[in-house]
Amino acid sequence: MGLCGRGWAGVLRAAGSGPRLLCLWARGAGGGAPPRSPGELGRYSQRGPSCAPRRQAWPGPPQARGVSRPGPFARGQEQERRRRNKTVLTYVVAAAVGMVGMSYAAVPLYRLYCQATGLGGSAVAGHGSDQIETMEPVKDRIIKVTFNADVHASLHWNFRPQQTEIYVVPGETALAFYKAKNSTDKPVIGISTYNVVPFEAGQYFNKIQCFCFEEQRLNPQEEVDMPVFFFIDPEFAEDPRMAKVDLITLSYTFFEAKGGHKLPLPGYQK
Amino acid sequence: MSTAMTFGTKSFTPRPPDKGAFPLDHFGECKGFKEKFMKCLRENSFENALCRQESKEYLECRMERQLMAKEPLEKLGFKDLIDEKSEAEHNKL
Repeated sequence: MGLCGRGWAGVLRAAGSGPRLLCLWARGAGGGAPPRSPGELGRYSQRGPSCAPRRQAWPGPPQARGVSRPGPFARGQEQERRRRNKTVLTYVVAAAVGMVGMSYAAVPLYRLYCQATGLGGSAVAGHGSDQIETMEPVKDRIIKVTFNADVHASLHWNFRPQQTEIYVVPGETALAFYKAKNSTDKPVIGISTYNVVPFEAGQYFNKIQCFCFEEQRLNPQEEVDMPVFFFIDPEFAEDPRMAKVDLITLSYTFFEAKGGHKLPLPGYQK
Repeated sequence: MSTAMTFGTKSFTPRPPDKGAFPLDHFGECKGFKEKFMKCLRENSFENALCRQESKEYLECRMERQLMAKEPLEKLGFKDLIDEKSEAEHNKL
């Protein structure tokens, strides 16, 4: 502390750093200890690692706090900072590009995922076959299901339901029949789709097996029974929006299938 | 076709059936079972719960004649009917 006495105190105090510690460091460590801060290093870079009074070599009190003299260490710091900034910028740009790429890749990847797991775009609470095994019928909620049958004008089939209505409860599997007759003299291939009204109830209407979405061929003057095996999800009884729904209408429409024309199936399955 | 209801209302998206489509019964092999089921429905004023035994028999007929993929009946929701049957057999013994 003696050497870091009056002579130095004024200068060092003006510089605003820890004078005693710096002197100690300079004298004791002999230049091996790390600097307190980069600014400090810049300021005192001109001095050697000793507190010997070399005032003439001392560049003088710094003009302003923030200005760093362009000594070799300072330049190194500057370059180091620039390089760091560039690295950070590169990472940020790479992340942005990655995000854009991921959003493009998401579409085919999701399709693959759906094919693998068989969700088919339906994010409704799972109605897999294990659910059918374990579901319990909700016996106090009787729902009337009415049936409707339509054909497209160009399809000359006689298509009608074999029962006008059926009373089911949620959680119970039910069977219903439609009948179709080909009244022409040529074999005709038809394909059907269905609709459930009210729309919100449609998500609870699960068909285990039916005759829709696949080509069905009828020979001339042939009449067949077409069954629909379905159930209403037990969660229907717990949905507050369905509290007033007592009537569900299932409507099938048959179209003529043009040969070789492959219809896209709903969802991503198949 | 733009009414007040077109935006924001949930539209219906048809879903393919869980187990695919029934092959057509061109030869009417299970017609007898179907007639029994329809008769039961008409007699019971179209209550499904009372005619489940007949629907089970119709599906069993289909499975026997390769018109439907064979599956254990519990998976088709007939667990209660099978339990009853096994109980009845148990009591008989």
